[in-house]
Amino acid sequence: MIAAEVVSALLVQRFGADPADVTTETPLRKLRMDSLALEELRLLIEDRLDIDLEEVALTSRDTVGQLVSAVDGKVAA
Amino acid sequence: MTAAGVGAKATWHSVTQDSAPSGVRPQAELADLPCDFMYTIDGLDTTAILGIAAQRLMDRFAQLAVIAAREAVADAGLDQNTWDSSRVAVVIGSAHGGLPFYDQQHVLMSGRGARRVSPKLAPLAVVNSAASSVCMDLGAHGPSLGVATACSSGTVALGTAHQLLRAGVCDIAIAGGAESVCSRLLVASACQMKAVSTRREDPAAACRPFDVARDGFVIGEGAGILVLERPEHARARGAAVRAQVSGYGASSDAYAAVAPDPDGKGIERALRTALADADIAAGDVGHVNAHGTSTVINDLIEATALGRVLGDHPLVTSTKAMTGHTLGAAGGIETALTVLALEEQLVPPTVNLDVPDPEIPVEIVRREARPATFDCAVKTSLGFGGHNAALVLTRG
Repeated sequence: MIAAEVVSALLVQRFGADPADVTTETPLRKLRMDSLALEELRLLIEDRLDIDLEEVALTSRDTVGQLVSAVDGKVAA
Repeated sequence: MTAAGVGAKATWHSVTQDSAPSGVRPQAELADLPCDFMYTIDGLDTTAILGIAAQRLMDRFAQLAVIAAREAVADAGLDQNTWDSSRVAVVIGSAHGGLPFYDQQHVLMSGRGARRVSPKLAPLAVVNSAASSVCMDLGAHGPSLGVATACSSGTVALGTAHQLLRAGVCDIAIAGGAESVCSRLLVASACQMKAVSTRREDPAAACRPFDVARDGFVIGEGAGILVLERPEHARARGAAVRAQVSGYGASSDAYAAVAPDPDGKGIERALRTALADADIAAGDVGHVNAHGTSTVINDLIEATALGRVLGDHPLVTSTKAMTGHTLGAAGGIETALTVLALEEQLVPPTVNLDVPDPEIPVEIVRREARPATFDCAVKTSLGFGGHNAALVLTRG
């Protein structure tokens, strides 16, 4: 739950995504998250949740839900 | 876009009407440095203007360039939906690009390690990112480049754009300069060089070009972007032509990393080249917007060269006391002001010039703007490393 809130908030506040577009099924590329944006997002999530996502593979093909699951896995660990 | 005003109209009003700068103030991060003040554009809501998604992909100097370019394109009456975007070039100069971003990220890496460094540093802090940002924002698909010739970058960018148009590789060139360097690292170095004013007790009086008490320049942020166009293209669409770039000259001192050629031979060569390129006699130049940085050496050498080439009749001014020295943006901003001077037939004063240096051999306009009749004006710029440039402008 925390991961979902953090990811959604960052996508809206830092990357200008429309809140209505940020759903579990939305592919990140549809939010204009290219490779540079994903690496920026990785750092922001790490700082916000004090976790290490270095080993997590991020691609624009992933959905918001897949990203949240990956983050959740690291939060739980 | 300057500390004197947001937009060309506001900046022109300030440099012609105000008797003192309002945009220079102490900066908290510079508090322990001999020069702790700078000219900044306050109250500019770049997020509202650009939007979150676009703004996050631009360093501040590129943001200023984009906002200025939008104003220039709108003023030119160009329609991005109908222009041939493959024939639109973008040429923007900057001395330092995203230096504050480098500075900030280096501090971050020193404290928290390499894994905390932003992935945006490498692509966004480079000098060319102002040009690429303007291309993306306006949908310009012609040739584009960043120009880095220190403090003459803006003028060299305009001269280069002029040459691209003449060579026929584009119909429209969006060109000028942009800079935003509120960087502790840079100011510390400038202080060590003894290049900047240390008049901490009165920052508004610190930048005083051609004055006997001048003691260095004062850094400012800003952007000055103009739309240049092939005459045939402008005529065909019925554009309102503000002025013509009639000649351009550039030269290198090949002398020193900082100091200009002591005889001013470099800026003289650039100016003579520009006049020859325009086929205009020295006696026809009515106004010069000088580099006039407020350093002891620049102002004397530049003015001496101006006097040698043009004589003592042109009305010379430096507008830097109102805008600060915007480094790579200066040529863009000051060329725009020179265009407005031609249009309005009004020469802005050199603010803070209380006691003219008796060794300055040209007539400097001071105290208040002076109405004058002239068809030709010159913009000169000098950059560290000996990069000189001059533009000859004539009425549209």
